[in-house]
Amino acid sequence: MRKLILVVLLIIAYVPTNAQLSLGNGQHVLEITGGVSTYYNQRILKETSDNKNKDRFRLRDAQLQLEGRYKNTIAYELQVDFVDLASFATGAIDPENPGLMDAFVTYKGLGFMDIQMGYGKLFYSRSSLVPFQYTTFWQRAQIVRGDMFSRRDVGITLMSDFWRQRINLYGGVYTGLGELSIRGDNDASGQPEFVGRIDIAYPSRFRYRDIDDKITPIPMFQLGVNGRYANKQLPEGRSFPAFSTGEFGLKVINGERYLYGMDAAFQYMGFSAQFEIHQMHAIPQLENDALFQGLPIDQTDGFVLAGGYVTQLNYHYRPWKSIISLRFEELDLNDLVPGNSQRLSIGAAYQFRGFDSMLKFQYFRILREESIDPIRWTEQFRIGWQYNFK
Amino acid sequence: MRQLYWILPFLFLLASAFIVKKATHIKPKESFFTNVPEPSDICNHPNNNNYFMVSDNGYLFEVDENGQIIRKADFEGFDCEGVHADENFVYVVEEMVRKIRVFDLNTLELVRTVHLPYQGGRNKGYEAITFNKAKNRMVILTEKDPIYLFELNEDLSIYNEILLDGIARDISAATYHADHLWLLSDEDRTVFKLDPNNYKVLAAWKFPIINPEGLVFNKKDQMVIVSDDMEKFFIFETPLP
Repeated sequence: MRKLILVVLLIIAYVPTNAQLSLGNGQHVLEITGGVSTYYNQRILKETSDNKNKDRFRLRDAQLQLEGRYKNTIAYELQVDFVDLASFATGAIDPENPGLMDAFVTYKGLGFMDIQMGYGKLFYSRSSLVPFQYTTFWQRAQIVRGDMFSRRDVGITLMSDFWRQRINLYGGVYTGLGELSIRGDNDASGQPEFVGRIDIAYPSRFRYRDIDDKITPIPMFQLGVNGRYANKQLPEGRSFPAFSTGEFGLKVINGERYLYGMDAAFQYMGFSAQFEIHQMHAIPQLENDALFQGLPIDQTDGFVLAGGYVTQLNYHYRPWKSIISLRFEELDLNDLVPGNSQRLSIGAAYQFRGFDSMLKFQYFRILREESIDPIRWTEQFRIGWQYNFK
Repeated sequence: MRQLYWILPFLFLLASAFIVKKATHIKPKESFFTNVPEPSDICNHPNNNNYFMVSDNGYLFEVDENGQIIRKADFEGFDCEGVHADENFVYVVEEMVRKIRVFDLNTLELVRTVHLPYQGGRNKGYEAITFNKAKNRMVILTEKDPIYLFELNEDLSIYNEILLDGIARDISAATYHADHLWLLSDEDRTVFKLDPNNYKVLAAWKFPIINPEGLVFNKKDQMVIVSDDMEKFFIFETPLP
């Protein structure tokens, strides 16, 4: 077994990754990229559980991406993940890893502003905007995985930047059903969701990345604030489409829903740090809404709060092509229920060819759990290989 | 003996550390802003102290020695990434559409366009252009994955292909100075001095500048590096240590 692992590692180290291709006719350029990632997962279960179904190999990504540009006016992107396409049509969609990842067109002809239309990532939460392959982890933090707020939706986004791209502004309107929006109809309220974000960086533009792979010689900072609002009051007797409310019933609610978030990022000489916090203010229209946990109105005041934060530290030691990350997260799914959950994760990666061929390891530890979100394991280990042809 | 297998990966890690080329560290002696937006390369004007500069958003400028725009070509390209000028023409490479645009030096009118197909990544195409006097040939380089140096014929068709993989993570600019070819790496923030006949690296210097995209040696023999993100000129003392 050891010999086998060693052989696999040596093969990985010397597999070429310069596989990105593009086609062009001088005005229209189309680029074809993609990636595959796979890992082995092992859990340490609580004594009360004997279900070891998560101790297994898993193909996480099998992605194909088409990205194109026509003259200086049109850009477009289509990205699919074949692993998740099967569940996309009917079942629950994993918001962290949906089958259809991007399908949008951007009009760039106005100059002062770009207009993006279609399905894609929402400009809410810096951590959600960081492409997954540029992190050391095998899973995003709970709060930004898409169970509390959607990460993708269909709609229209206006985007602009100022001060040498140090300030970025985004605003848009979407169906509000998140990843489920791709199935077609809106919910019975017919109402949209509004999302906005502004971030500012200094002393230069700061890309949405967690790892300082360029070993930045000057300290760089970025601060972002974002918010979103939806008022989806269902007519009596109506319900939301299946799976649209998410694992915790928070993504879409029958009533008004405000969500605010703030994020900060720093990087210098291989060190990088991120902090992000979110709070949801939900005002269900029905007094017997499940979010009220059966409590009377005089105790709930007619609203529910949920939220949490995640903080992450990373160090990239380029001579050893290695990255190590530490992440701590806290999540309160409902302020009407005592307690919250806490998780600690350690990520480590060895880059055979940068982020395009990388061995990744993640250790998870549940420090505390919330009564409304019981977990059957205490620790988890995940190790695998990420390979991108880009 | 069985434990030996487990030593090998660690030896591999250790070896990786020593494969990285050692470079001397240098710092700029002065810096100033340019009003060229998103500058992606720079070259000398052959007849005076001015420069030609190109920008990511597809424009060609002539700027003074302080980096201020004097004139702009009546041209809008896709993404101009490299520029070189001789006694008659200014040559601009467009990365995404794989084209060399040739402008009249005096009028900055576009006089010729050459298409050089290349199937690599959309944003990993032609990034640098200069004239290798030692071989009497124009050369253009791709940015990364892999880094190719193409020697061109007089008609700007490809004559020879040299793979420079392993030299750096990327190449963002090239220039010819003092009988050597000089390359700039953005991601490694390093300048390389190459033998222009065999393209072997003779020396390397690291510097603390964010997103360096342009490299030239001015008429005072100073090395000038232009930062895209900072939109700034950085002047270094030469000769380099």
